[in-house]
Amino acid sequence: MPGMDAIITVSATVGDLIMTFVIWLIAAGVFYLISFLFKGQGSFNRVLEIVGYGYLPQVAGSLITVVAAVILIPGISVPTLTKAALEDPAMIEQVTKAFMHDPAMMMLTQITTLVSIVFMLWSAHIWIFGMKHARGLSPRDAAVCIGVPIVLYVLYLTYNLGVM
Amino acid sequence: MRVNVSRIIFCLLLLSCILPGAAVAYATPESIVASGNVYVSRAVYDPGVFFSGDRGTVTVYVTNGNANKSVVVNHATIGDKNIRLTSNSYETSANIGPLQTQTFVFSLATDAIEGTYYPIFSLGFRDAESLYYPAVVKIDNTPLDLSVVDKLDTFTQGMKKTINVLVANPRNNNVTNVALEVTGDGITANPERIFIGELGTKAKVPVNVSITPEKATTVLLTLTYNNGDNPHQTTLELPVAFGVDKKQADPVISYVQVTTEGGIYHVTGDANNAGLETANTVMVTALAPAVPQDPYKTYVVGALKPDDFGSFEVTFTAGPGNTSIPIELSYKDTDGNIYRSVQDVKISSSGVSVSPDDGGFSKMLPVAAAIVIILIFVGGWVYNLRRNRQ
Repeated sequence: MPGMDAIITVSATVGDLIMTFVIWLIAAGVFYLISFLFKGQGSFNRVLEIVGYGYLPQVAGSLITVVAAVILIPGISVPTLTKAALEDPAMIEQVTKAFMHDPAMMMLTQITTLVSIVFMLWSAHIWIFGMKHARGLSPRDAAVCIGVPIVLYVLYLTYNLGVM
Repeated sequence: MRVNVSRIIFCLLLLSCILPGAAVAYATPESIVASGNVYVSRAVYDPGVFFSGDRGTVTVYVTNGNANKSVVVNHATIGDKNIRLTSNSYETSANIGPLQTQTFVFSLATDAIEGTYYPIFSLGFRDAESLYYPAVVKIDNTPLDLSVVDKLDTFTQGMKKTINVLVANPRNNNVTNVALEVTGDGITANPERIFIGELGTKAKVPVNVSITPEKATTVLLTLTYNNGDNPHQTTLELPVAFGVDKKQADPVISYVQVTTEGGIYHVTGDANNAGLETANTVMVTALAPAVPQDPYKTYVVGALKPDDFGSFEVTFTAGPGNTSIPIELSYKDTDGNIYRSVQDVKISSSGVSVSPDDGGFSKMLPVAAAIVIILIFVGGWVYNLRRNRQ
């Protein structure tokens, strides 16, 4: 359908932008709630602030991801679905699976995941210090408060790498 | 005395009635000269050259070379101990006019061994001595030659193969009714019998015969022919052994690439003929579990000469979970036999052909790297916290 590509592109971009803020809020909320277990004191806004600062390393990570994408995306074979194929869920599933298992696509996914893990841990490092001051926690409590959910998250990313 | 005179006169009269005929039978110098001008102009044997045991005929042409005098012949025959006369001699008188030719035909038979023989033709003159003529004839037991020109190394069960046979006549005479018959247990020959007809001296005729063997056997080629009216035959045994023809066409698929478009796989590549013979009507198609789809359900590459190649493209769909698809390549040889070979082509989920699966290593490497990074992070913080506590 004419113009469909543009709509999809704009929707994806706006969606990503909104999701960035949503995740920022969720992360801050999770850290804030966990810090209650360690009797943390301090406002949610302060937590939101330090989580925002902690995201800064991930900007550098995104730049690396963009470079990798520019290099690898031309090598990705993007299937073109016919009208008949679009009406067949099994065919769509098969084509999606084929797309995700394209060697270039797999390599891009692996690189972005590893970069995400590295910079997410860097952010966690910042967040630990931030939570220590924002919620008045001991270094150990702050490390547990941030470390547990972040380590679980990066373990989940690692698991996805293995089953990809 | 008068009676005696009358008796003498009667006898003389009686003799005078007989004498006109008797007087001609007497050799005279003129009749002897005339018989000297009678000669055998030629003697023709049929067959021209005999086999031992053959029967045939000889026609002797006797010409009267006198320009104005006839001769009378009253006996003619031919033969000796090697060339036996099987018909009757000529025992009646015949007049040969001036410059005329009289033929004498005899039937002959021989059991003699190979060689050149000189049976004597004799012709008796009424008014002179006889004429003797050695009519030379040859006996040669050389048979017709039957040879396979392009002998095949091996046959394939149920596959038709053409053999090229050469029929040659090394004899010094023509043979007739030449025919080649192909027989054998467990074979189908086409044609089973080929009529060649007359084969001149030193002549040769190529003959093609297609053979489809169903089992290892021996093909018997029987060449029959007539030398005059005498039937003869030559045989040749051709063993049929199954195996792989070292020269046969051998199309192989290479440079295979797989892409997907609209859920349809496109397999492209080159079909190369690595054999020594031409592969005709080379076709490529995908087999189950693939389902051929338009536009290239089957791709006809065409004829491929040795070391030649042609590109192909086949399109198909394949259900989820299929990692490789059999691609069939078929071709025909010069006899129309269809040969098929199947080659598996890997279709990765991405639709790109990949070589052996190295996913194990390529997947584990980033996982290991991620685990190391996590351990460094956790270990670093644990160490840092313990140091701060102390």
